[in-house]
Formats: sequence, structure tokens, C-alpha cells
Amino acid sequence: MIELLTDLFSNFWVSLAGKLALVALMIPLIGMALGFAEIKLSAKMQARVGPYFAGGRWGWAQLIADGIKFFQKEDIIPTAADRPVFKAAPMLVLVSTVALLVVIPFGPGLIFRDLSVGVFYALAVSSLSTIGILMAGWSSGNKYSLIGGLRAAGQLIAYELPLVLAVVGAVIMAGTMSMSGIVEAQIAAGFPYVIVQFVGFGIFLVAALAELTRIPFDMPIAESELVMGYLTEYSGFRFLFFFLAEFANMFTLSAIAATLFLGGYWLPGVPESVLEFAGPAILLGKVFLLAFVMIWFRWTFPRFREDQLQTLAWKWLVPLALANIAVTAVLKVVL
Amino acid sequence: MTSSPSETEAAVETEPQAHPLQEYADGVADAVGGTAEIQFDTIKVKVPNDAWVDAHVTARDQFDLVFFSWLSAIDWCNEVEVGDELSEEVEERFELLTTLGDLTEGKRVTFSTDLDAKTPVIPSLIEVFAGANWHEREAHEMFGIDFLGHPNLAHLYLPDGFLGNPLRKSFPLLTREVKPWPGKVDVEAMPEKPTTENPES
Amino acid sequence: MTINSDTMRHLSEAQVSVELETEDMTLNIGPQHPSTHGVLRLVARIDGERAFDVQPVIGYMHRGYEKICEVRTYPQITTIINRIDWVSGYANEIPFIVAAEKLMEVEVPERAQYIRLILTEMARISSHLIFMASYPLELGAATPLFFALRERERVLDLLESVTGGRFHPNFNRIGGVKPAAGAGPTMKKTSQDLPANFLPETRSAMDRVMEVCDELEDLVAGNEIILARTRGVGVIPVEVAAAYGLSGPNLRASGVPFDLRKIEDYLPYDRFEFDVITGENGDCWDRWHCRLQEIRESGKIIQQAIDDIPSGDLLAKVPKLIKVPKGETYVRAENPKGEMGYYLVSDGKDGPYRLKIRSASFSNLSILPWVLEGVLVPDIIAIMGSLDFVLGDVDR
Repeated sequence: MIELLTDLFSNFWVSLAGKLALVALMIPLIGMALGFAEIKLSAKMQARVGPYFAGGRWGWAQLIADGIKFFQKEDIIPTAADRPVFKAAPMLVLVSTVALLVVIPFGPGLIFRDLSVGVFYALAVSSLSTIGILMAGWSSGNKYSLIGGLRAAGQLIAYELPLVLAVVGAVIMAGTMSMSGIVEAQIAAGFPYVIVQFVGFGIFLVAALAELTRIPFDMPIAESELVMGYLTEYSGFRFLFFFLAEFANMFTLSAIAATLFLGGYWLPGVPESVLEFAGPAILLGKVFLLAFVMIWFRWTFPRFREDQLQTLAWKWLVPLALANIAVTAVLKVVL
Repeated sequence: MTSSPSETEAAVETEPQAHPLQEYADGVADAVGGTAEIQFDTIKVKVPNDAWVDAHVTARDQFDLVFFSWLSAIDWCNEVEVGDELSEEVEERFELLTTLGDLTEGKRVTFSTDLDAKTPVIPSLIEVFAGANWHEREAHEMFGIDFLGHPNLAHLYLPDGFLGNPLRKSFPLLTREVKPWPGKVDVEAMPEKPTTENPES
Repeated sequence: MTINSDTMRHLSEAQVSVELETEDMTLNIGPQHPSTHGVLRLVARIDGERAFDVQPVIGYMHRGYEKICEVRTYPQITTIINRIDWVSGYANEIPFIVAAEKLMEVEVPERAQYIRLILTEMARISSHLIFMASYPLELGAATPLFFALRERERVLDLLESVTGGRFHPNFNRIGGVKPAAGAGPTMKKTSQDLPANFLPETRSAMDRVMEVCDELEDLVAGNEIILARTRGVGVIPVEVAAAYGLSGPNLRASGVPFDLRKIEDYLPYDRFEFDVITGENGDCWDRWHCRLQEIRESGKIIQQAIDDIPSGDLLAKVPKLIKVPKGETYVRAENPKGEMGYYLVSDGKDGPYRLKIRSASFSNLSILPWVLEGVLVPDIIAIMGSLDFVLGDVDR
């Protein structure tokens, strides 16, 4: 039986189909898991219980019910909207998220495709969502969406730079751009890079929050000003795509942060053989920790104003990241 | 106008004590050229029409009455369409009122002037108090008073095509036309005894 | 030609003045909008993110109060005027009742005055807690909403236990407060009074309110992003505030210690010790802080009032059919939103001849075109929220 399966999957096309199916399955699962974490954690922070009735005791089926609800809704497209662009926008955002999952190492050898330019690929693909958001804002035919879309364009472009520059420090230290290569470099060094690259880690987290347009950087959505910003006209399953994309993106960016800075699937002291099957669990634990921090920030802070946001990116994060690179490079040569 | 306690004791017994604000009220009235009256702790200074804006300038500059509280009007009309008629005949006019206050001692003065009932026109106070803008717009749409020099006397509350001035006594309440009010009863009568009798008993 | 500093400046200005020709956009904020506290419409002309001409359009909630009050009797008016500013329901009735009592020259019993004072301060706490809940939400922080509203529920439950209504109490009568809940004129006066455990429960509720003020201060006051969003935003100097008739915490935030509770005598505030809270700059942060401190002061007043409340009647002797003698008076009170006043013109009948309602939010809102000149779009929301108006109060 096992031989039959291994023979089957040694065929390139079958394994490709399998990998695609796995990735496609992961997105809703991750989305729902992190979404559930968000609603329950936010409820605990706000002295309430959160979803309670869906699915028995603690409301675990709430998001499944929400997903089904979104799917069966009427597909409303405003008459003033640009139809092809309107329909394509959520797909583009989801595509960039899905494509990011390819390079995340879940364990030694457990990676969909170990690209030698993994980091480069990841950052390039994650910036595709900017176009999707701008398309959503423009094509809705709504002034609020337009303002949200333009704010998003400004913000996402501004925070791409700190995001990219922050990981350069880790890449310099590891000497390779391959994601699993960086984890192996941390294993070889014996310590996760966050101990030395704490500046880079901090900048990456802040820039990741901005890339996700989560509070405190949610000017593009700005629920109390722009109704829902670029998402205003989206309802039904198109909104579901954006919603899933946000949580899946939270997962992927946290996973990248965990891989580059926190040691990925490796914990100090855990032998290699254990990592084979405990690796994914360790990575998920670290991802959950980072997601918890992101959720915590979201419900504590208000949002930055657009000019304060841009000042933070251009005047603070970019110079700090550049200084980090310079110091890392010098120390790498010297030490 | 109540007068100060006079010298004779008999006068002290019969005449009421002067209001503590009487002196202040008289001071204001003299400065603006009007007459002051204190009714139930409210100082009301009546000024003639042409001294309206100057009275407010004086009040603001000389008496520190910088706080612009409100501006509105009363439609004194002997034939009322809604409500009851007046108990005694009055001269038909619009009485324009403003209340100013000061921010240090808490004094407040109500200025009033009489406007012609047929064509109520008065200069606007917008140069003196910027806050008079909206109050005058409201008075214009509710009473039909024309404020000279106001930049934008568009409707504030009422829809764009609304005709008429609702707060005039001659403007009927639409709901009254459609369905008469059951009556201004304070205490409702007891309900009549039920007339059905139990056939079984 | 000699190149001097004037020439250089002229040259540099000449370069800059060639700008891109961009159109400005007219953005309609409202009337249905998450942040406009009701049906308010702002027609904003914005250029990018900067608004340079914001005109409020009001009147969506105009109910014609002043016309209606001309055809109602005084007890009937008491029923409807607590709906003007529905967030602080009880406080709307007080100046009107006091005006009618002034014209009738009725002396209100002490116990009734103390009860009125306690309930008015509870209405103030309720209104300010709504502000504490909704203002950070407009800035993006969702959590203070739950903390503030949880405590507000306590206050509203207490109000309901006494008056029968959470938002629209209709508890005042001319001459005092309502003698009993639901009993007719045949019940003895001693059994018509506050519910048995109202006073102790109010005391413990006030303790909880003080605690939540500390929680809100920890959560909101020190937050750097809140400070960045509200400090220096929407500064209103005292002269402009006075000219527009801005009142209440908005005026006090600009630095003027003007509190009508200390000046007017509509309720026995002079027997209690409390501070008048002022701000320094008149920006959004000061307005928020004034309201937070005012919740604490109200809690103090209520504690003192509960300690001192005298026994006695709840309603003075007034005729069954209330006819107010001829006269005019203006009574103003410190409502949670600002100065609320009623100019009552009576002709000796059982209803007023003219009732002018001076509502605080009307004047507070009228300053918007002035203060929103040249601000960024997110600041429009921040400033509007900090003025704390309610559309029912604006439109009457």
C-alpha cells in the first residue's frame, strides 16, 4: 500500500497536483484557525466571551458558519464598478498569499519547493497584494473605496522597504537566501537570529503589521472613517477571499518572521530526529506566538493617521534598517 | 422696573426688595440705550431696532458678555392657529431675543427688540458674534425674519422645498389637520364599567 | 542684476508655484456613517487628504419640538423633552421643570432636589461613559468601548430601578419628582419613595465607575498613538469658543473654569464639594481628559449626596391641573453636553406660549466649519468625535 502511494507520488504531475491540493486546503484551514484565535482572544481582552453557541461549547464552528454564510450570499457588484477589475482584485490578493506558502519550511525537508532565492521570492510575491488592493479601491466606483485604495497604495509601498531591508540582516548572517538554508544556518550557529538581529525583527514585525493593514496601520480600511475603505463594496464570497487572505497572510508573514529570526522549525536542544515530525508543531507554535502579538496590538492601539504612518516608515524605519544592515555587515566581516 | 428700597419705612414694607442684579441690569440698559427688566431672575433689556447691533457690540466689549448663548424669536399674534389664544390683546409683532453671558462671573442678559409683524427685517449679528450664523438661519426659516448681511440664509432644518415658516402662530400643525388631537387632558376619566354580563351566573 | 536673498526667494517661489493641476473631490460624509453620531451629513471638499471646506447639513432629525411644545400641557411636555438629548435623558427635564416652578413660585422639597441631583449626575456619568466608549472607537481602538459600556449598564440599571426608564425617565413633576412608580393618588406618601436598596447600590456602582475611570486612563491616556492623534488636533481658542457658544467640557478644555453648576442655583450644588475641570490647550486630548475627570467628580458628588440626603416629601403641593402664571424666564443648566436652557414664555394657560430650547449640541456643532478648515480627513473624525454632540440635541 505504501509502495503504491510512493510510486504514485513520484510522478511529477501527481505530486504537483497533490501539493496544489494541499496548499489550497491549507489556506481556508489556516484562515479559520487564526480567525478563531482572533475572535476568542479579542473577546477575552474585552471582558466578554466571544462566539459561544456555534458548534457546541466554545464556538469553534463559528467561522465555518461564517464561511458558509458568505458563500451563499448574493453577488452584488455596483453598477459604477469596473467589472473585470472588481472581480479580479480579490483573486490577486489571495494568489499572492498562496504563493508565499510555497517557500516556508515546515520541517527539515518539509517544504513545497526549496528555492535558492527563497527570501527574495517571498518578498517579491508578497508585494503583489498591493496591486490587488489598489485594483479593489479603484474599481469599486465609490469615493470611500478610492480614498482607501490610495491610502493603501501609499502605505504598502512605504512599508515594503523596511520589510525588505529588515531581512537583509538575517540573510547576511546566514549567507544564503534559501529559507531552509537560513534555518540550517541558525541550527549550525546554535542560536536563533533574533538574539542578535532584534532590531531587524522589530522592524519586520512593524512592517508586517503595515503590510497586513491591521490596526495600528489600518488607514486603508479605517472603519470609522471610510466605512470599510477599499473593501466597502465587497460582499459575499469576494469579501471572503479578502478575509481569508488577511488571516492567511498573517500566517505566512509570521511564518517568515519565525523562520528568519526565531529559528523556524528548530528549538535549541531538540535533536534532528525529533525535528522530523515535531518541526511543524514547533513552527506553528512560534507562528501562533507572533499572531498573538499581532492580535494584541490590534485591539489595544488606535490607528495612526496617514502622515504619521508615512513619517514612521520613511523617517524612522528605513534609516534604522539601513543602519542595521551596515552594522551587521561590518560585524560579519570583522568577527 | 422694581425700584430700590426707598427711604420711607412704609415704602420698604410694601415695595419688594430690589433684585441683587438690578444695578447691573440698569448699567447695561443705560449703556446700550434700552430699558431693563428683571423677571424671575432673568435680566431682559429691550433695545430699539436701530440700536440692535451696537447694543451687542457694547455688551461684548464693555460688559464682557462674550458668550453667545442663543438667538430666537417670539411671534406675538392675537389669532393663533395652534394652541390657545392669548389671554389679553398684544401688539402683533415679532420679538427677537438673544442671550449673552460672560465667562467669569456668570451673568447673563437677554436682549430683545421688536420687529414689524408684516416685514420683519433686522441687521445680522454675524459680524459681532460668529455663532449667530446658525441661530439666525434657524430664526429665518422658522419665522421668516430677514437678516441683512447674513451670507447664507439657506434652510437649516427644513427640507429644501419647504414653504412657509413653521414657528409662526399662523402656521398650522399638519398632523392637526389630518387627525385632531384627542384633547389636552391632564387626568383621564375612569374607564366606563364593562357592560357584558356573565350569562352563566 | 545683483543676486540677493530676495531674488533667491523669488526664484524658489517661482519654481514651487508651478503645481500639478489636480481637481478636488467632494466627499459626502454621512448621513449614514459609522462615526457621525447620528444622521449628520458633512459635505467636505477635499484635496488629497486635506479638507478645506466642510459644511454640515443638519435637520435629518428635526422633530419640531418647539412647535409641539406650544400645543402640549406642562406634564405632557415633561414626557417628551427627555428625548432631546437621549444619551443623558434625565438631565434634559431639569431646566424646563425648574423654569415652570420658577414661574409658579413653587418650593421644591429638599429630598426631591437631592434625588434630582443624584439622577442628574448619574445621567452625566452615563453620557460621558458613552463618549469614553465611542471616541477611542473612532480613532480605531475598540477595547475601551466594552469597559465603559459595562459600567454604564450599572448606572442605567439603577436609573431604571428608580424611574422606570433607562433613557427616557420622565421622572420629574412640577413641584418635585414622581412620588411612586405606578401607584395612584390613594397610596400613602411614606410608601412612595426610592427603591429600598437604591442608595447602597448606587454607592457601590460609583466605586466601580471610579475603578473603570482608572482602567480607561491606563488604557487610553498614556497610549502614544492616542496622544499623537489627539494632541494639538482641533485646537479651539477661548474667544472663538465663546463667540460660537461652545459650552460644557468643550469650553472648559480651552481653559475657562466656567461650570454652570457653580453659578446657577437650579439644583443644590453649592452644598457639595467638587472641582471644575479645565484643560490647557483646547485640543481633542483636553476634551477627552475633561470628560474623564468629570466622571470622577460626578461620582464624588453622588457619594456626598447619598450621605446627606434628607427625608421628606417628594412632591410639593401643586394643583392637579397645572396652570403657570404669566411671565418669561430663562433657566440654563449644565447638561453633560454643555449648556442647556429653556426660555419659557407663559401666558397663564396650561401650556407654554413659546418654549425656546437652547440645546448644547447645536452650538457645539456650529463651530465645525471653523475648526475643520484645512485638516486631514482622519482628523475630521477625531475632532467631530471630541465635540461629543448628539443629533437629537442638534436638530430638536
